[in-house]
Amino acid sequence: MKLTDITREEYTTYVGLLTVEQKDELVGQMYAPDCFFNPIQDNADNWVISIEEMEYCTNELFLWVKDLPLILYVPKENPFPPVGEN
Amino acid sequence: MGTILLMGAGLQTTVTGPTYDPDAQLFFNAQTAAGVTLTTTEKDAVNQWVVDSKAAGIWTKFKAIYPMVGSTATSQKFNLKNPLDTNAAFRLSFIGGGTHSSNGYQPNGINAYADTFLVPSTTLTLNSQHISFYSRTNSNGTEVEMGCNNAGLNPNTLLEIRTAGTTYVSLAANGYATYVDANSLGFYIGNRTASNVTKLFKNNTAVTTSANGSASNPINSISIGALNSGFTKQYYTTKQCAFASIGDGLTDAEALAFYNAVNAFQVSLARNV
Repeated sequence: MKLTDITREEYTTYVGLLTVEQKDELVGQMYAPDCFFNPIQDNADNWVISIEEMEYCTNELFLWVKDLPLILYVPKENPFPPVGEN
Repeated sequence: MGTILLMGAGLQTTVTGPTYDPDAQLFFNAQTAAGVTLTTTEKDAVNQWVVDSKAAGIWTKFKAIYPMVGSTATSQKFNLKNPLDTNAAFRLSFIGGGTHSSNGYQPNGINAYADTFLVPSTTLTLNSQHISFYSRTNSNGTEVEMGCNNAGLNPNTLLEIRTAGTTYVSLAANGYATYVDANSLGFYIGNRTASNVTKLFKNNTAVTTSANGSASNPINSISIGALNSGFTKQYYTTKQCAFASIGDGLTDAEALAFYNAVNAFQVSLARNV
Protein backbone atom coordinates (compact mmCIF):
# COMPACT_ATOMS: atom_id res chain seq x y z
CA MET A 1 0.00 0.00 0.00
CA LYS A 2 1.22 3.49 -0.92
CA LEU A 3 0.48 7.07 0.04
CA THR A 4 -1.90 7.48 -2.88
CA ASP A 5 -3.99 4.53 -1.75
CA ILE A 6 -5.36 6.03 1.47
CA THR A 7 -7.86 8.73 2.34
CA ARG A 8 -7.20 11.70 4.60
CA GLU A 9 -9.33 10.08 7.28
CA GLU A 10 -6.82 7.21 7.35
CA TYR A 11 -3.78 9.41 7.93
CA THR A 12 -3.43 8.44 11.58
CA THR A 13 -4.16 4.78 10.87
CA TYR A 14 -1.14 4.18 8.66
CA VAL A 15 2.54 5.08 8.78
CA GLY A 16 5.43 4.84 6.35
CA LEU A 17 7.81 1.95 6.92
CA LEU A 18 11.54 2.75 6.98
CA THR A 19 14.67 0.63 6.88
CA VAL A 20 17.24 1.36 9.57
CA GLU A 21 19.41 3.01 6.94
CA GLN A 22 16.56 5.24 5.82
CA LYS A 23 15.81 6.12 9.43
CA ASP A 24 19.41 7.19 9.92
CA GLU A 25 19.16 9.43 6.86
CA LEU A 26 16.09 11.24 8.13
CA VAL A 27 17.02 11.92 11.75
CA GLY A 28 17.61 15.65 12.28
CA GLN A 29 16.58 16.58 8.73
CA MET A 30 13.80 18.94 7.66
CA TYR A 31 11.01 17.69 5.42
CA ALA A 32 9.55 21.19 5.05
CA PRO A 33 10.41 24.64 6.40
CA ASP A 34 10.69 24.45 10.20
CA CYS A 35 9.44 20.84 10.27
CA PHE A 36 11.76 17.97 11.13
CA PHE A 37 11.39 14.27 10.47
CA ASN A 38 10.78 12.14 13.54
CA PRO A 39 11.24 8.42 12.90
CA ILE A 40 9.82 6.40 15.78
CA GLN A 41 9.46 2.70 16.50
CA ASP A 42 6.07 1.04 16.53
CA ASN A 43 5.00 -1.80 18.81
CA ALA A 44 6.95 -4.30 16.68
CA ASP A 45 10.05 -2.07 16.68
CA ASN A 46 9.61 -1.10 13.03
CA TRP A 47 10.96 2.34 12.22
CA VAL A 48 8.17 4.50 10.84
CA ILE A 49 7.23 8.09 10.00
CA SER A 50 3.80 9.67 9.80
CA ILE A 51 1.80 10.11 6.63
CA GLU A 52 2.03 13.88 7.07
CA GLU A 53 5.82 13.80 6.88
CA MET A 54 5.49 11.86 3.64
CA GLU A 55 2.80 14.03 2.07
CA TYR A 56 4.18 17.41 3.07
CA CYS A 57 7.83 16.65 2.31
CA THR A 58 9.23 19.33 0.03
CA ASN A 59 12.90 18.68 0.72
CA GLU A 60 14.23 17.46 -2.61
CA LEU A 61 16.76 15.23 -0.87
CA PHE A 62 14.03 13.16 0.72
CA LEU A 63 11.19 13.04 -1.77
CA TRP A 64 11.64 9.28 -1.80
CA VAL A 65 9.64 9.15 1.45
CA LYS A 66 6.52 9.67 -0.64
CA ASP A 67 7.02 6.17 -2.04
CA LEU A 68 7.46 4.38 1.28
CA PRO A 69 5.28 1.32 1.83
CA LEU A 70 2.51 1.89 4.36
CA ILE A 71 1.71 -0.30 7.35
CA LEU A 72 -0.97 -0.06 10.01
CA TYR A 73 0.28 1.93 12.98
CA VAL A 74 0.35 0.07 16.28
CA PRO A 75 1.87 2.26 19.00
CA LYS A 76 4.11 1.07 21.77
CA GLU A 77 2.25 0.63 25.00
CA ASN A 78 3.16 3.07 27.75
CA PRO A 79 2.38 2.73 31.43
CA PHE A 80 -0.39 5.00 32.60
CA PRO A 81 -0.29 7.58 33.99
CA PRO A 82 3.32 8.57 33.35
CA VAL A 83 4.35 8.35 36.99
CA GLY A 84 8.06 8.13 37.54
CA GLU A 85 9.64 5.24 39.36
CA ASN A 86 12.25 6.83 41.56
CA MET B 1 3.12 50.28 11.57
CA GLY B 2 3.22 54.02 11.96
CA THR B 3 2.82 56.85 9.50
CA ILE B 4 3.88 56.61 5.89
CA LEU B 5 4.31 59.82 3.91
CA LEU B 6 3.73 59.46 0.19
CA MET B 7 5.01 62.33 -1.93
CA GLY B 8 5.24 62.87 -5.64
CA ALA B 9 3.98 64.99 -8.52
CA GLY B 10 3.03 67.72 -6.14
CA LEU B 11 0.85 65.45 -4.03
CA GLN B 12 1.33 64.71 -0.37
CA THR B 13 -0.69 61.95 1.26
CA THR B 14 -0.39 60.58 4.76
CA VAL B 15 -1.38 56.97 5.36
CA THR B 16 -1.65 56.03 9.00
CA GLY B 17 -1.64 52.36 9.99
CA PRO B 18 -2.30 50.86 13.38
CA THR B 19 0.25 51.50 16.08
CA TYR B 20 0.96 48.30 17.95
CA ASP B 21 2.42 47.66 21.36
CA PRO B 22 6.23 47.53 21.00
CA ASP B 23 6.42 43.90 22.11
CA ALA B 24 3.68 42.89 19.70
CA GLN B 25 5.48 44.80 16.97
CA LEU B 26 8.69 42.87 17.65
CA PHE B 27 6.72 39.66 17.17
CA PHE B 28 5.31 40.93 13.88
CA ASN B 29 8.77 42.02 12.76
CA ALA B 30 10.09 38.51 13.41
CA GLN B 31 7.26 37.05 11.35
CA THR B 32 7.96 39.45 8.51
CA ALA B 33 11.67 38.65 8.59
CA ALA B 34 10.79 34.98 8.33
CA GLY B 35 8.64 35.62 5.27
CA VAL B 36 5.31 35.35 7.08
CA THR B 37 2.39 37.68 6.43
CA LEU B 38 -0.09 37.68 9.29
CA THR B 39 -3.58 38.99 8.64
CA THR B 40 -4.72 42.24 10.20
CA THR B 41 -7.15 40.24 12.33
CA GLU B 42 -4.29 38.08 13.64
CA LYS B 43 -2.11 41.10 14.34
CA ASP B 44 -4.90 42.92 16.12
CA ALA B 45 -5.65 39.84 18.23
CA VAL B 46 -2.03 39.35 19.25
CA ASN B 47 -1.62 43.03 20.00
CA GLN B 48 -4.75 43.12 22.14
CA TRP B 49 -3.56 40.06 24.06
CA VAL B 50 -0.27 41.81 24.82
CA VAL B 51 -2.09 44.96 25.87
CA ASP B 52 -4.47 42.97 28.06
CA SER B 53 -1.71 40.94 29.71
CA LYS B 54 0.25 44.08 30.49
CA ALA B 55 -2.84 45.77 31.90
CA ALA B 56 -3.38 42.73 34.12
CA GLY B 57 0.23 42.84 35.29
CA ILE B 58 1.04 39.34 34.07
CA TRP B 59 3.21 40.04 31.01
CA THR B 60 6.36 39.87 33.11
CA LYS B 61 5.38 36.46 34.46
CA PHE B 62 5.86 34.65 31.17
CA LYS B 63 9.00 32.93 29.95
CA ALA B 64 7.37 31.70 26.76
CA ILE B 65 4.11 32.54 24.98
CA TYR B 66 2.99 30.64 21.90
CA PRO B 67 -0.11 32.28 20.34
CA MET B 68 -0.08 29.81 17.41
CA VAL B 69 -1.14 32.34 14.79
CA GLY B 70 -0.72 32.12 11.05
CA SER B 71 -1.07 28.84 9.22
CA THR B 72 2.44 27.47 8.98
CA ALA B 73 5.14 26.01 11.18
CA THR B 74 7.17 29.14 10.57
CA SER B 75 4.44 31.50 11.76
CA GLN B 76 3.63 29.37 14.80
CA LYS B 77 7.17 28.77 16.02
CA PHE B 78 7.85 32.18 17.55
CA ASN B 79 7.81 32.94 21.26
CA LEU B 80 5.84 36.16 21.65
CA LYS B 81 7.84 37.04 24.77
CA ASN B 82 11.16 36.85 22.95
CA PRO B 83 10.63 36.43 19.21
CA LEU B 84 14.16 35.58 18.18
CA ASP B 85 14.72 32.60 15.90
CA THR B 86 16.95 30.76 18.36
CA ASN B 87 16.68 27.86 20.76
CA ALA B 88 17.81 30.16 23.57
CA ALA B 89 14.76 32.33 22.93
CA PHE B 90 12.53 29.26 23.28
CA ARG B 91 11.49 29.33 19.66
CA LEU B 92 9.63 26.12 18.86
CA SER B 93 11.00 23.36 16.68
CA PHE B 94 8.25 21.25 15.18
CA ILE B 95 9.19 17.59 15.06
CA GLY B 96 7.35 14.81 13.25
CA GLY B 97 3.99 15.15 11.52
CA GLY B 98 1.13 17.36 12.53
CA THR B 99 -0.46 20.23 10.66
CA HIS B 100 -0.68 23.98 11.02
CA SER B 101 -3.73 26.09 10.27
CA SER B 102 -5.39 29.31 11.34
CA ASN B 103 -6.87 27.30 14.22
CA GLY B 104 -3.44 26.41 15.63
CA TYR B 105 -1.05 23.48 15.79
CA GLN B 106 -2.62 20.07 15.32
CA PRO B 107 -0.33 17.23 16.50
CA ASN B 108 -1.13 13.81 15.08
CA GLY B 109 -0.98 11.56 18.14
CA ILE B 110 1.72 9.46 16.47
CA ASN B 111 5.04 11.29 16.43
CA ALA B 112 4.37 15.04 16.39
CA TYR B 113 5.52 17.50 19.02
CA ALA B 114 7.18 20.87 19.40
CA ASP B 115 10.33 21.34 21.44
CA THR B 116 10.26 24.57 23.44
CA PHE B 117 13.92 24.25 24.51
CA LEU B 118 12.77 25.59 27.87
CA VAL B 119 14.30 23.46 30.62
CA PRO B 120 12.54 23.82 33.96
CA SER B 121 15.66 23.14 36.02
CA THR B 122 17.46 26.10 34.47
CA THR B 123 14.55 28.48 33.79
CA LEU B 124 11.67 27.97 36.19
CA THR B 125 11.37 28.75 39.88
CA LEU B 126 10.63 25.60 41.86
CA ASN B 127 7.64 26.91 43.81
CA SER B 128 6.31 29.51 41.39
CA GLN B 129 5.53 28.27 37.92
CA HIS B 130 2.74 27.63 35.43
CA ILE B 131 2.13 25.92 32.13
CA SER B 132 -0.94 26.51 29.97
CA PHE B 133 -2.56 24.92 26.92
CA TYR B 134 -5.66 25.88 24.94
CA SER B 135 -7.23 22.70 23.61
CA ARG B 136 -9.62 22.77 20.66
CA THR B 137 -10.06 19.00 20.60
CA ASN B 138 -12.34 16.84 22.68
CA SER B 139 -10.65 13.48 23.22
CA ASN B 140 -10.08 11.03 26.00
CA GLY B 141 -6.90 9.15 25.15
CA THR B 142 -3.64 8.62 27.01
CA GLU B 143 -2.07 11.84 25.86
CA VAL B 144 0.17 14.48 27.39
CA GLU B 145 -0.37 17.94 25.96
CA MET B 146 2.85 19.45 27.27
CA GLY B 147 5.56 18.46 29.69
CA CYS B 148 8.78 16.70 30.56
CA ASN B 149 10.40 14.52 33.18
CA ASN B 150 13.78 13.00 33.87
CA ALA B 151 14.27 10.04 31.53
CA GLY B 152 10.92 8.57 32.50
CA LEU B 153 11.52 9.17 36.19
CA ASN B 154 10.15 11.73 38.61
CA PRO B 155 9.78 14.61 38.87
CA ASN B 156 7.25 15.53 36.21
CA THR B 157 6.14 18.88 34.90
CA LEU B 158 3.13 18.21 32.70
CA LEU B 159 -0.44 18.80 31.67
CA GLU B 160 -2.27 15.62 30.73
CA ILE B 161 -5.71 16.75 29.64
CA ARG B 162 -8.44 14.17 30.05
CA THR B 163 -7.01 10.68 29.97
CA ALA B 164 -9.80 8.20 30.71
CA GLY B 165 -11.91 11.04 32.04
CA THR B 166 -9.28 12.56 34.30
CA THR B 167 -7.01 15.56 33.79
CA TYR B 168 -3.62 15.50 35.50
CA VAL B 169 -1.26 18.31 36.35
CA SER B 170 2.18 17.99 37.89
CA LEU B 171 4.64 20.82 38.41
CA ALA B 172 8.12 19.83 39.55
CA ALA B 173 6.52 17.05 41.52
CA ASN B 174 6.45 13.30 41.98
CA GLY B 175 2.66 13.16 42.08
CA TYR B 176 -0.33 14.74 40.44
CA ALA B 177 -3.29 16.97 41.04
CA THR B 178 -6.28 15.41 39.31
CA TYR B 179 -9.65 16.54 38.04
CA VAL B 180 -12.55 14.48 36.70
CA ASP B 181 -13.05 16.19 33.37
CA ALA B 182 -16.20 15.98 31.26
CA ASN B 183 -14.41 17.11 28.11
CA SER B 184 -11.01 18.32 26.99
CA LEU B 185 -12.04 21.59 25.43
CA GLY B 186 -10.86 24.99 26.61
CA PHE B 187 -8.03 26.70 28.36
CA TYR B 188 -6.06 24.82 31.01
CA ILE B 189 -3.56 26.37 33.40
CA GLY B 190 -1.44 24.22 35.70
CA ASN B 191 -0.17 26.54 38.40
CA ARG B 192 2.15 26.20 41.40
CA THR B 193 2.40 29.05 43.90
CA ALA B 194 4.02 27.30 46.87
CA SER B 195 5.77 24.05 47.77
CA ASN B 196 2.40 22.62 48.77
CA VAL B 197 -0.02 24.45 46.48
CA THR B 198 -0.81 23.31 42.95
CA LYS B 199 -3.96 24.44 41.19
CA LEU B 200 -5.56 23.46 37.94
CA PHE B 201 -7.66 26.09 36.22
CA LYS B 202 -10.03 25.16 33.45
CA ASN B 203 -11.27 28.28 31.71
CA ASN B 204 -12.34 30.72 34.43
CA THR B 205 -12.54 28.22 37.29
CA ALA B 206 -10.02 26.72 39.70
CA VAL B 207 -11.19 23.12 39.40
CA THR B 208 -8.57 21.49 41.60
CA THR B 209 -6.32 22.55 44.44
CA SER B 210 -3.72 20.07 45.63
CA ALA B 211 -1.11 19.96 48.40
CA ASN B 212 1.05 17.79 46.17
CA GLY B 213 4.55 18.83 47.18
CA SER B 214 7.28 20.11 44.92
CA ALA B 215 10.40 17.97 44.51
CA SER B 216 12.69 19.45 41.87
CA ASN B 217 12.47 20.81 38.38
CA PRO B 218 13.01 18.31 35.53
CA ILE B 219 16.19 18.57 33.51
CA ASN B 220 14.65 18.02 30.07
CA SER B 221 12.95 20.67 27.96
CA ILE B 222 9.19 20.99 27.93
CA SER B 223 7.51 19.66 24.80
CA ILE B 224 4.16 20.72 23.41
CA GLY B 225 2.26 17.76 22.01
CA ALA B 226 4.00 15.02 23.96
CA LEU B 227 5.92 14.24 27.13
CA ASN B 228 9.66 14.73 26.77
CA SER B 229 11.44 12.05 28.76
CA GLY B 230 14.77 12.95 27.25
CA PHE B 231 15.74 10.65 24.42
CA THR B 232 12.22 9.27 24.36
CA LYS B 233 9.00 11.16 23.69
CA GLN B 234 5.78 9.60 24.94
CA TYR B 235 2.02 10.10 25.04
CA TYR B 236 1.73 12.00 21.75
CA THR B 237 -1.45 14.04 21.77
CA THR B 238 -4.18 14.59 19.22
CA LYS B 239 -5.38 17.81 20.82
CA GLN B 240 -5.12 20.94 18.72
CA CYS B 241 -3.20 23.69 20.46
CA ALA B 242 -4.41 27.27 19.96
CA PHE B 243 -2.24 28.83 22.69
CA ALA B 244 0.39 27.67 25.16
CA SER B 245 2.61 29.34 27.71
CA ILE B 246 5.22 28.68 30.37
CA GLY B 247 6.09 31.02 33.19
CA ASP B 248 5.88 31.99 36.82
CA GLY B 249 3.10 31.10 39.21
CA LEU B 250 -0.07 33.20 39.07
CA THR B 251 -2.46 34.38 41.74
CA ASP B 252 -6.07 33.37 41.31
CA ALA B 253 -6.88 36.88 40.09
CA GLU B 254 -4.00 36.76 37.61
CA ALA B 255 -5.10 33.35 36.36
CA LEU B 256 -8.59 34.72 35.77
CA ALA B 257 -7.22 37.75 33.94
CA PHE B 258 -5.02 35.41 31.89
CA TYR B 259 -8.05 33.32 30.93
CA ASN B 260 -10.04 36.42 30.03
CA ALA B 261 -7.26 37.68 27.77
CA VAL B 262 -6.80 34.31 26.08
CA ASN B 263 -10.54 33.84 25.63
CA ALA B 264 -10.89 37.27 24.05
CA PHE B 265 -7.94 36.42 21.82
CA GLN B 266 -9.58 33.19 20.63
CA VAL B 267 -12.94 34.89 20.12
CA SER B 268 -11.34 37.57 17.98
CA LEU B 269 -9.80 34.83 15.85
CA ALA B 270 -13.13 32.94 15.71
CA ARG B 271 -11.51 29.80 17.07
CA ASN B 272 -12.77 29.73 20.65
CA VAL B 273 -14.30 26.46 21.91
